This record gives sequence, structure tokens and C-alpha cells, in this order.
Amino acid sequence: MATRTTDLAVDEEVVSQMADPSIRGSRLPIDVLYTSEPPIIDPLVTATSTAQDRTLDQCLPLLKAADSNIEYNANGVPHLHRERHIKYLETTLGNLPAPFVGADASRPWCMYWALNALSLLGADVSKFRESLIVTATHMQNKTGGFGGGFGQTSHLATTYAMVLSLVIVGGESAYEVIDRRAMWKWLSSLKQPDGGFQMSLGGEVDVRGAYCAAVIISLLNIPLSLSSDSPASVAGLADLYTGLADYVQRCQTFEGGISAKPDAEAHGAYAFCALGCLAILDAPHRIIPRTLNVPRLISWLSSRQYAPEGGFSGRTNKLVDGCYSHWVGACWPLIQASLRAPSQPAHDSGPQREPTPEFVSFYDREGLIRYIMSCGQDHSSKGGMRDKPSHRSDAYHTCYVLSGLTSAQHVVSAVLAENEYVTNMAWKVSPYSDPQLFDEQDRLNPTDPVYAIPQEKREEVMTYFLSKPGF
Amino acid sequence: MPPKNNKGGAKAKELSEANQENDAAKTQTVFERAQAAYDLTRPPYDKEREELGGLHALSTVEKTAYANWFCTAPDEYGLLSKKAQKELWKQVNETNRPLRRGQIDRPKPDQWGQDKLGRNIGDYTVQQYEQRIAKEAQLTCLKALGRSFASKRLYASKGLVDSSTGEKYTLTEDDITAEKDRRREMAALTKDLYGEKMGPYSTDPEWDDVVPVPQMEPEAALSAIAYPEDYAESMSYLRAVMAANEHSPRCLKLTEHIISMNPAHYTVWLYRFANIQHLDVPLLDEITWLNGVALDYLKNYQIWHHRQLLVKRFARSERAFVMEMFAEDAKNYHVWSYRQYLTRKLGMWENEAHGELDSIEGMIDDDVRNNSAWSHRFFLVFSNPRYADPDSHATEPDPKVPADFVDREIAYAQAKIELAPQNQSPWNYLRGVLVKGGRKFGSVQSFVEQYVQNLGNEETEEVRSSHALEQLADIYEEAGDKEKADLCWKRLGEKWDRIRLGYWEWKRRSLKAASS
Repeated sequence: MATRTTDLAVDEEVVSQMADPSIRGSRLPIDVLYTSEPPIIDPLVTATSTAQDRTLDQCLPLLKAADSNIEYNANGVPHLHRERHIKYLETTLGNLPAPFVGADASRPWCMYWALNALSLLGADVSKFRESLIVTATHMQNKTGGFGGGFGQTSHLATTYAMVLSLVIVGGESAYEVIDRRAMWKWLSSLKQPDGGFQMSLGGEVDVRGAYCAAVIISLLNIPLSLSSDSPASVAGLADLYTGLADYVQRCQTFEGGISAKPDAEAHGAYAFCALGCLAILDAPHRIIPRTLNVPRLISWLSSRQYAPEGGFSGRTNKLVDGCYSHWVGACWPLIQASLRAPSQPAHDSGPQREPTPEFVSFYDREGLIRYIMSCGQDHSSKGGMRDKPSHRSDAYHTCYVLSGLTSAQHVVSAVLAENEYVTNMAWKVSPYSDPQLFDEQDRLNPTDPVYAIPQEKREEVMTYFLSKPGF
Repeated sequence: MPPKNNKGGAKAKELSEANQENDAAKTQTVFERAQAAYDLTRPPYDKEREELGGLHALSTVEKTAYANWFCTAPDEYGLLSKKAQKELWKQVNETNRPLRRGQIDRPKPDQWGQDKLGRNIGDYTVQQYEQRIAKEAQLTCLKALGRSFASKRLYASKGLVDSSTGEKYTLTEDDITAEKDRRREMAALTKDLYGEKMGPYSTDPEWDDVVPVPQMEPEAALSAIAYPEDYAESMSYLRAVMAANEHSPRCLKLTEHIISMNPAHYTVWLYRFANIQHLDVPLLDEITWLNGVALDYLKNYQIWHHRQLLVKRFARSERAFVMEMFAEDAKNYHVWSYRQYLTRKLGMWENEAHGELDSIEGMIDDDVRNNSAWSHRFFLVFSNPRYADPDSHATEPDPKVPADFVDREIAYAQAKIELAPQNQSPWNYLRGVLVKGGRKFGSVQSFVEQYVQNLGNEETEEVRSSHALEQLADIYEEAGDKEKADLCWKRLGEKWDRIRLGYWEWKRRSLKAASS
């Protein structure tokens, strides 16, 4: 998370909107749920309550549609500053000034965040293909995987981000950058005797590793057998997936949520990694109930949404943060898929049945959308999305706040995969429009709930590598 | 003692006396030389009389000469009359024998004392004796220089000014080095000359300020050990610095020295550890040293206890730093993960030894809403390998956890809930404890109900905690009271936690589906 700043970034460079002044301001009967303090507040003051109070102070004026510098729609929801966000993201793909030196080990992440967010916004990402291929080629190590930059050690997170970036721009020339045989050897070397994955050789083991590895293996159709020199192979594990679900299981905590590694605190980002990983290993309705205590997980995930903010927090008694719109928000389709077997195949062209009510919402979509549009956007000309109003926008938040927005704007339900050899699950996406809080022009492209990239891009790459079972 | 020379010996001696200039110095003893010098102060017939055992062995002339010589002695001469004195001198002239008389005393063979080996120094050859004298002179010089060093150090410590230069007295590193060299030399000389060993501490100016405390034991002590001098001296200094409760680099060196002589000396090990703590000695330095000691002394309690103390000290210093980080951000996920790692790795579970539970309670007291601290507490209590089942999942009962621990944690969570009932952390904790302990939710029903009054009555309904209401629903569901459970969820969705309406509705539908 970015460091907390004390002042409101939105006060600067606020753009005066050209829209009809009559729809500005708080003239709308917005449900008090989103505009007033919760019904129970303890008088005891602690550091946590003080921080929470500060957050409400900065969010409430925006949620009440009380900021006269912002254009709100008829429901009191600001518009999506689509063009500004696109411009902002393209800037982050250009040359970055010296203060970005701290991102030097995360450049594949910058690329993924920008490219994925641009895809969600409907911008053309193909124009970045050639330069991405050049960049990726120089960040790939002969021993497999991608580093955070040229000459840097391969890391699962940067490899995940780079592979997804290549998949987002798509095309054979992008796919063929990846040395799959070296990738397989490298992944084998990261596989641990306890089932988990190290993030890099000699690096930490956590549930991110489980998710990133499963994404890479499944997208690239990497053979599951372990190389003979893998520490896991020496320890007697059968393949790359052996013990992975057990590892994920050990990360569930007494609160019901998932921690980064066994013994730690339940955290939203790791809940997504856990569910995403499991959904790759097997169909969610089989593997998730088998692996996790689902009722406790649902209860904990549900507790992540606060009122009046509407957005999600990452942990109990932590503050709302826009990025959990994705980390927690993307858990819901997987949770729903875990509750029952998919009922119809994806190619069933019969009459579109409305999703049953229980498939619509475990969480308050209106609250999340209001938070994202009001508090999660940088309303200045800079564009981009942010943690909360007191924070600056950045590529990370832009990607994950928009990912969360699209998941709130769409109902994604699991259907039987046409070819279970490719993927365990296919996803049927239908627009969420009850009530239509936001204007249709502000709807984003849907995203794949497991891979966090456009679904068709995920299908393309899987189909491509399915034709290459070996190397 | 009189020489036992017979005549042959006397002849040989005469020969040797002839060569005196050449090699007498090599073989002549100190006593012999003194004796020879003494002999030069008396007439030969006196020596002859002595050597031959009496006057009777002398010739008549020599007898007369002896009598004359005897009478010219100051004490005797004055007793004679003037006439007798004249007569005496007449006889002396006639006898024509020398009348030598010196003022030196007759040398005694033991007047030089004994050397360190008990040898009579009078038996030394002259050459040996001269070497000894030179050494004594050197030692005297060194002592004088040492006194000058001590004075300078004293003046420097008092900030005095040297009147000859007008500058303050200062003690330089060179001064100290020179004094150390000097003391080494003095120690060697003293040992050589007198056999008095000056140990490394008594000769080290660094230890000048310490008055050693020798071992005090009655003569009749049993199993008394004849300590080697080195050991005895070191121990004397150890007793002194321990009594003064000193912790310093020199103490650390002293303990190392004593351990090298007696690695089973637990007192010195414990004192060493106290020094390590006070001096904040880097762990790796001490471990590296300890490795060497351990490899030298394979069977030893103290080495391994010392190592344990070091690891505990490391754990404490790690926790101190972790707490420093928490002062910046009490919920830093990386730091908490590290703390969990540390707890497992260093076995910091038990409160008695490490105060980990106390430390966590302190953090919860600081901010009862700090969920990271609650989460760590759960880990401490329910993952302790001493009793917990390592394979028990976080959301399932673990019968191996002692019941009194479960009771204690329930009481703890309840006490904290009372401080701020809408704080979700202790509610989640309470639920977790109940599940782990295999307790029914119903066991806390009366506690939970105090936060929910007149549920469903629009006018009088009072809910002080939505989390209590959620817990109450589970209590009713567990008891099979579906209507009441449903009412809790309904009211949560309608009023007390509306943002989670979708979830509460799902709970209601699930319960209905399960019962139909």
C-alpha cells in the first residue's frame, strides 16, 4: 500500500465539468446507508478508530455527492473518467522519471497493471505489442522465468505479471517470447517439499507463489511432471500441483479468511490468491469445499465490506482500500462457483435465464460501485484510480480498482467448460444492471475471475499452447 | 665455613691464582673472590694459620710475625705501654713480614642469600653474578620509569599542567604501549631473578586499578587444589571485577582466559553472559567464539546453556526491534509474519520464558481493535507445539488444547468485548476459541445476549453490537431455534449491518433450504 498522505489529493487540479449544472451536488435521495455513519459506534477511542474516523471524513463528502467540482449522474454517482485514466495508464508505460527507481524491480507489474487496466477500459493495447516483446525478451532469464528487469533474478510475481502482459497483447510473436522448457525447469526448482512454491530461488514461500505458479502453468500448458533435480521431486512429490491445495488449506485462519502463509493474519489479497489457485487445480465446486471451510470464508469475506464507505478492507479493523475491490471482489464469483455444480454448458444457446437471486450478490454492489466511482477515482486531470481520497492514484490501484469495478458491473457465473482439458470452468458473463447506478458508457469490459485478464485473451493463449503439449 | 683444602688443593689454588687474570672470573665463585679480596687485607701467615689449623703449624718467625700483627691491631695496640709499642715495632722490622690490615669484614659464604632455586648466590661464578647484578640494575631502572608512568597517569587524570612545558599531562597510546612492554620486561626479570611470577594481570596497566581478591580458605580445607599461578591470578581478578559488578571488554577477555583454563566454570560463563548483555556484543561474534570453544571441549553443560542464553537474547532483541516497527505501524503485515516465524523458529511460545503473551496483551491494551495482535495471540495459544495438534485446521476443534487455556481465552475475549462491543476482533477471536475448544456457541449465550435486547420489537429493540447479533444467530441455529436465528439475520440485514444484506439473506435462505 502507498504511504498515507495527510491531505486530500482531489483538491488539486480539479477539473470543472462541462455537464449540466443542474445535476451537480447532493440533490439526490441517496440511501443513508452510503451517506451516514453506521448505526453502532463505540465511544472508546483507539488508533484504529481514529484512522477510521479520518477515512470517513474524507469519504463522506464524496459519497454524499456533495463535492460541487465533481459531476454526478442522476443516482449521485460520478462518471468514470475513462479518457483520463487511459491517458494516465499510457503515461505509466512511457518513460518514467527518476523517482520511479523504487519500481525498478517491478517493471513487469507496471506493464501488467497498465495493460490490463487499458483492456478493461477498452483501449487498444496491441500498439504496445512490439515494445513489450522487446522488453520481455530482455527480462527473461536463460534459466527460466522473468526478472523484474534486465539481469534480475527470475521471480514468480514478475513472471506472472510478464506472462499476463504478453497474453493481454496476445499473438503468436508475444507467446513465443516465453521459453517454456526453461520455465518448466525453473518452476520445478521453486516447488517445495511442503507443496508450496518459493517466489524465487532462495526466496519466500507464500500463497502468492501458489497462485502465480498455477496461473503460469495452466496458461502456458506447462507439463506437470517435476524435473529430476527439483527439491520437491527429491522429497518424493509427484508433480507441480502435488500438495498445493494442502498448502492453501494451511493458510486459512480462525477468522475464516486466508493468510499469506500458515500462522499469519487473514488478508483479502491472499484470499483471492487461494481461491484463484484452487479454481485452477480443479473445478471450484469440487475443490473449494474440499479444501476450505467455505461458510467461515464467506462470513469473513462478507465482513470486508463497510458502510457507509461501500468499499472493501483487506483485514478485520483495517481501512477501506480501493485495491480490495479486486482482491475481495474477485473472490465472489469463485465463492459462488464453489457452492454448486455448474448447471449448463457455456455453448448452451437456450434462452438466457436470469441468474437466481443468490447468484446475484453476496455483497453490496451498489456500495462498491459508489465507493469506486466517488472515492476510488482521482477526479483531477491526472486520472488513475486510488486507495482512498487521501492517496495519490497509481498503476497498481488503477488496475485493481477497475478490476473490482468490472466485477461489480457484471454477474459472472460458472458454467461447464466446453473442454475441461483446457480449463475447469467457463464463465458466463451478464451485465449487472439492477439498479443501473452508473451510466452505460461507464461500463467496463468484463474480466476473467481467475486470471484477472480479459477472458478471450485467456482462452486464446490456452488454445494456442494446448496444441503444444511438449516443448 | 673453612675451606677443606688439603695441600694439593692449596697448590692447585696457587696455580689458579697465577692465572687469575685470564680465566679465574669464569670459575671463581663470588665467595671465593670475596675471600681472596679479604685475604689481600691480611698477612699471608694469618691465612696460613687458619688453613693449617693453628699457630703450631707456623714457623717460629711466622709465629712471631703473627704475634706482632695481632698486637698491632687497633684494639690491642692501645693496651701496650709506650715501651712495649717501641719493642713491638722493632720486632716487626726484624721479622720482616708484612703487617697488612684492611677494613673489610671477613666474608660469610651465605651473605649473598639464595636465588630462586635455593642456590647459594655466593657459589655463583663471578660472571654469573655480574649478569645477575646487571639484571637487578635493569629492573631498578624499569621500576623508576614505571613510577614516572604512574605519576604521569595520575597527573593526566587530574588534568595537571607540566610546569616545565606549560602543557597538560597527557597519556598517549605510545606511553601505554611502552609501559606494557616495560612491565613484560619487569615480569620476566623478576621471575628470572627472584622466581616471583608476576601474572599477566598484575603486569597489565589496564588492570592497575583492580585489587585482586585472593582465594580465602582455611588451611584445613578439603579437596584443596594447588592452583596453577595463572589460574589463581585470573580468578583473583575475576572475584574483584565481579564484586565491583563491572562489565567491560577487559572482563570479557578475562572470562575468555578463565574459560580456556576451566570451561566448566559456570560462574564465569554466567558472568560472561552478563557482560555480553551490557556490552551488546554482536551475536555472531560470540557464536563464532563459542563454536571454537565447543569444538575444543566436547562435553560441557555451560557452552550449551550459554548458547541458549544467546539465542534467547537474540529473540528478545528481535522482538524489541519488531516492537519498534509496530510503533510506526502496529498492523504491518510483513512484520507480523516475521514475528510468527520468529516465534516458531525460536520457540517463543511460553510466556514465562519470553513474555510473548504479555507483549501481545500490551499491544491489545494499546489498541483493542488491532486485529493483527489478536491474530498473533490466537497463533500463540492454539499453535503451541507443546500441546496443540499440528495438523488441526484453524477452523476445527483441537482436543489437545487444555481446557483451562480455552476458559482463559474465552474470559479474555469477553473482557475485551466489554470495552468496545462493536469491535469485531475479539468477537472473531471468541468464535475461534469456542471452535478450537470444541465448545458450544450456546456456552456464551448469556454473555452475548446482554448486547441484544428486545430483538424484533421495533420500538424497544436495542443492539449494542452487530457482531453479537451475528453470534447470537449462530447460537440459535446451533440450538435448532431457526426462527430466532432467522430473526437475527433479518434484523442485521434490515438495520444493524445493512451493507451485508446479501450475505444475511443467503444465511436465511440456506437455513430454510436445509430445513425443507
